[in-house]
Amino acid sequence: MCSRCRERCHRPRPPRPALGLALALSLPLALAGCEREARRLELPPSAPLAAPSKAGVLYPGPYASAPVRVTAADPVVRGQRVEENAYAVSQGKRWFRWFNCSGCHAGGGGGDMGPPLSDDRWLYGHELPQVVASILQGRPNGMPAFAGRISEEQAWQLAAYVRSLSGQLRSDVAGGRSDAMGSGEPEQRREREVPRPDAAPPTVR
Amino acid sequence: MATRIRPLQRRPHARGPEPRTFAAAALAALVLGLLPLAAVAAPPFGAGSQDALRTGGPQAALILDLWRLLLAVCGVVFAAVMAAFGVALWRARRGTRDTPPELQGPLRGEPRSARLVAAATGASAVGLCGLIVASVLTDRALARLPLSNALHVELTAHQWWWQARYDDADPSRTFETANELHLPAGRPVLLTLHADDVIHSFWVPNLSGKKDLIPGRTATLALRADVPGRYRGQCAEFCGLQHAGMALEVVVEPDAAYAAWAERQRRPAEPPTDPQAQRGQRLFLAGTCAMCHAIQGTDAAARRAPDLTHLAGRARLAAGTVPNGRAQLAAWIADPAAFKPGTNMPGHRYAPEDLDALVAYLETLR
Amino acid sequence: MPSSFRATIAALTLCRASRFERRAGVETARGRPAHGIALLLTVAAVLSATVHGATGETRVPQASQAASAPADPADGGWPMATRDYANTRYSPLADITPANVATLKPAFSFRTGVKHGHEAAPLVAEGLMFVVTPFPNRLHALDLARPGAPPRWTFDPQPQPLARGVACCDGVNRGAAYDAGRVFITTLDTQVVAVEAQSGRELWRRRLGDISRGETITMAPLVVKGKVLVGNSGGEMGVRGWIAALDAASGRELWRAYSTGPDRDVLIGPSFRPYYAADRGTDLGEKTWPGEAWKTGGGNVWGFLAYDPQLDLLYHGTANPGPWNPEQRPGDNKWTSGVFARRPDTGEAVWFYQWSPHDLYDYDGVNENVLLDLPFDGRRRPVLVHPDRNGYVYVLDRASGQVLSADPFVRITTSTGVDLASGRLKYDPRTEPRAGQTVRNICPHSPGGKDWQPSAWSPRTGLLYIPHQNMCQDTRVYETSYIAGTPFVGAEVKMYTGPGGQRGRLTAWDPVSRRPAWSVEEPFPVWSGALATAGDVVFYGTMDGWFKAVDAKTGRALWRYKTASGIVGQPVSYRGPDGRQYVAVLAGVGGWAGAGVTHQLDARDPTAAKGFAAAMKDLPKPESLEGQLYVFALP
Repeated sequence: MCSRCRERCHRPRPPRPALGLALALSLPLALAGCEREARRLELPPSAPLAAPSKAGVLYPGPYASAPVRVTAADPVVRGQRVEENAYAVSQGKRWFRWFNCSGCHAGGGGGDMGPPLSDDRWLYGHELPQVVASILQGRPNGMPAFAGRISEEQAWQLAAYVRSLSGQLRSDVAGGRSDAMGSGEPEQRREREVPRPDAAPPTVR
Repeated sequence: MATRIRPLQRRPHARGPEPRTFAAAALAALVLGLLPLAAVAAPPFGAGSQDALRTGGPQAALILDLWRLLLAVCGVVFAAVMAAFGVALWRARRGTRDTPPELQGPLRGEPRSARLVAAATGASAVGLCGLIVASVLTDRALARLPLSNALHVELTAHQWWWQARYDDADPSRTFETANELHLPAGRPVLLTLHADDVIHSFWVPNLSGKKDLIPGRTATLALRADVPGRYRGQCAEFCGLQHAGMALEVVVEPDAAYAAWAERQRRPAEPPTDPQAQRGQRLFLAGTCAMCHAIQGTDAAARRAPDLTHLAGRARLAAGTVPNGRAQLAAWIADPAAFKPGTNMPGHRYAPEDLDALVAYLETLR
Repeated sequence: MPSSFRATIAALTLCRASRFERRAGVETARGRPAHGIALLLTVAAVLSATVHGATGETRVPQASQAASAPADPADGGWPMATRDYANTRYSPLADITPANVATLKPAFSFRTGVKHGHEAAPLVAEGLMFVVTPFPNRLHALDLARPGAPPRWTFDPQPQPLARGVACCDGVNRGAAYDAGRVFITTLDTQVVAVEAQSGRELWRRRLGDISRGETITMAPLVVKGKVLVGNSGGEMGVRGWIAALDAASGRELWRAYSTGPDRDVLIGPSFRPYYAADRGTDLGEKTWPGEAWKTGGGNVWGFLAYDPQLDLLYHGTANPGPWNPEQRPGDNKWTSGVFARRPDTGEAVWFYQWSPHDLYDYDGVNENVLLDLPFDGRRRPVLVHPDRNGYVYVLDRASGQVLSADPFVRITTSTGVDLASGRLKYDPRTEPRAGQTVRNICPHSPGGKDWQPSAWSPRTGLLYIPHQNMCQDTRVYETSYIAGTPFVGAEVKMYTGPGGQRGRLTAWDPVSRRPAWSVEEPFPVWSGALATAGDVVFYGTMDGWFKAVDAKTGRALWRYKTASGIVGQPVSYRGPDGRQYVAVLAGVGGWAGAGVTHQLDARDPTAAKGFAAAMKDLPKPESLEGQLYVFALP
């Protein structure tokens, strides 16, 4: 027998488990990366005010007593609506505290000076554009108008967060446990409150 | 055909470069890998403004001394180990696939090598103990900074900016600023460190070591800046999208200059006299700005973004990201995400004259 | 009334005579000389004493006679929410006694048609009963002479609904004020309106504040020397507090004194002589705040006002500093959480004492100041007795502002006492709020050992009947932005029952011996006012709808009646046109404690209603959320 041949045949293969293992592991990881959430990091500028309004003061704007439909579209980022984007909802949670929403509506949406946001009663509509309208336009019993004070994208993010307080959002999008003292269940664990048919706001006269 | 009985074969030498080649290649990689460090962009205030090797105060000096000792000792040890490694590789016997294994060594023992290894181990142990002692002594010295007449500053780290409140026994003499600390030279400073959202870390290398700012906890850091100058610090704990854009500028100036600066900071903003600036103030208060920023002397008293009462006196904007100037301020306001993607400040689509008015107003805030 | 006369007469006859003297004092205040009448009465009293013999009422301290004038009309009315300037809420009518109170029955009732907390006191004057509802603050005048007391007129001030969104603790109103044929009301949207008592015709109205900045008014005004005194609310919205005087005839604003800021705004001038060194200095209303924080510093004046005609001093408390987060406002934060003595003519301050310097827990200082003459160190001193939110019953010398005693009436973990030498409250550092940390076991909770609900004094028993609560809380403070028109609080609160397991109490406090004589426990905070009568019966209401009568001496339960809604109003007693004694109270649950029910909040969030909603989630839903006036009489 040819010695070279023997050497080749008897040459023990160096075991290469490492390479196979690496391939085996990296494939699922690569596939999992396909669902990575897109984030829009810049907040697109909103329309400027026509003229400077009453300086330094929030006051409710013109209102309608019936639920209002907003015609502007829900900002869509790479095919994801703001209610499907966990980053957007977490930014909404940030604005909820920053702009003192939690001061009137309580940290977990339980309500205080303002009505609760975590239950099934919606005075001015429960759909996302309607909540955006309530935030931007203000409402007659004391909800301030935030138009021109926050950008529209911030309002959409805030509205998405508000809806998460009553469990309307998917649990992989809604927020987890807060670092705050504990305002009830984390949003992602809240049972979805089925909104009641839109009721009239509290009558005054 | 007679079969030759081969002696016991172990695995032949692994395929790969020759030991000397390997040693040479490793050394080259080490040197090349360290080269990029030299190409690090110089900090904006010139060479040495964010440099732990150019100390501006006793805390940094103590740390630098310890570091030099560590460098020396570890360098010597490293050199010795590399030398021994090099010698071992150089003197390694060359062989081929058919070279029988060197079995004599383990059976015979190498008393000379053993003594060498024992001695080296002993020396390392002694060296390490010495370093421990040095480290402990340095810690003690750091904690013993005399704090009489210390300036009290409360630093709160946010994503991604620094809020500083200068405390005073008389509460009406406290004031707030952001992103730019002024310190009097030669006077101890006691920093109380808070974090608003996530963990950050305070690090001004010329002046002191790092200290984490952890939400819900209060930490303190004492330092003293002896050498006047501008120093750059930065956040040293990953804190989100703009962790790299969270610089802290420290201006160390003589007592008199510091006192003048502090007095200016205590004054609320003067009402603007120029009509364009007045229009800008109205835009500021009626728009999105007052929802997050504060200007003392106006109704704007929000605390979610840097205090702008004396914005025009600062060298840079956005925690060191943008130089302060009319054009840059306008560009920043129009689209902050262009400079700091992920920042919480929204963009603004102002009409050009409105933007000019706003910037004109902000420039009056000295 | 020269005090030398009083010093020579036996205490019992003094007690008897004082009733006549007070009536005489009405005339005195209106300018008619009464010394002769007083002398005659004194002689008569001495004679009666020798006939009847004195009993053991010698030791009973007296309500300051002068302070109770001129509010004791001959028809046994109730012209102001506090009944008299001394804030005693003591009715001299003695028809209803422990022996017969069990037979008390409803005489008539009146539905207000309004939801939310009915905190007002029904007023009785000129044969009419005046009831102010919570927002929309309708004023009803019920004709007591006609059977069933139907409303003679209703005045609707039509306040703006926007005000509802900035009322921290339900859109309540604590009552009107009657003076010289006019009735004065405040509205939630910061108006003061004067109407003619008999006809309801509007005489004048003034708007005093700005609801777009979160300002409201909920307090019951006081009329002193032809001036209507009102104060604002809004400490949770960063509103700077003030008290103002309007001319009762025209509504013109005469003066306004702020609770923070430079001395010229606070009306601190040469007459200002605070007792303690910490309150002396220039412009302390600015210097004890960082920067311009005093402009959003609170110190609102939403509690009941008291007046001493002899000393000519008006006493009012100031509410908490803003925001609740104390780290944003280092310094003593003058002049919040304290009590001012002012001259009603000009508003200038005469003295000030700060119950809770640099308040950490929303301990407003607006609770009532009951003006009494009490023995202290062997001599009678004009004092004010004040159960504060911070859990202490204070006795202050009301001429100088010196703290004579301060004793806890509830469990307190937030402080260890009051240092009488410096006057300063000694905080316990263990319960101090820190940003980003949850501090637990804070007792009493933010509504205090006692919130607004006013106590009543009986000169017969010498006890102050304090309706209050027994609750604790966990607090977490955080940085908050001031955005005008939105809340400026910076704290999350979770409340729960205090030690002992019962959330409410009615405590009968003896201010001379400085301890409780007895105390009745209730499952819910006693959020209603108390009423003491000369028949030795004390009335109060509970949040689950029971209107109760207890024995003034022992606290023994005598009678109770279930109303359609929880009671958070102030009970009053008056003599009707038919000569009988009536007891009236408004039922209609709400206020801070009842916000969870009346606003239908979600108690799953423990921080809803700043912690109260979850702490009261077992409060039974009332039969009716609407308010109803109940008036009771003996059969």
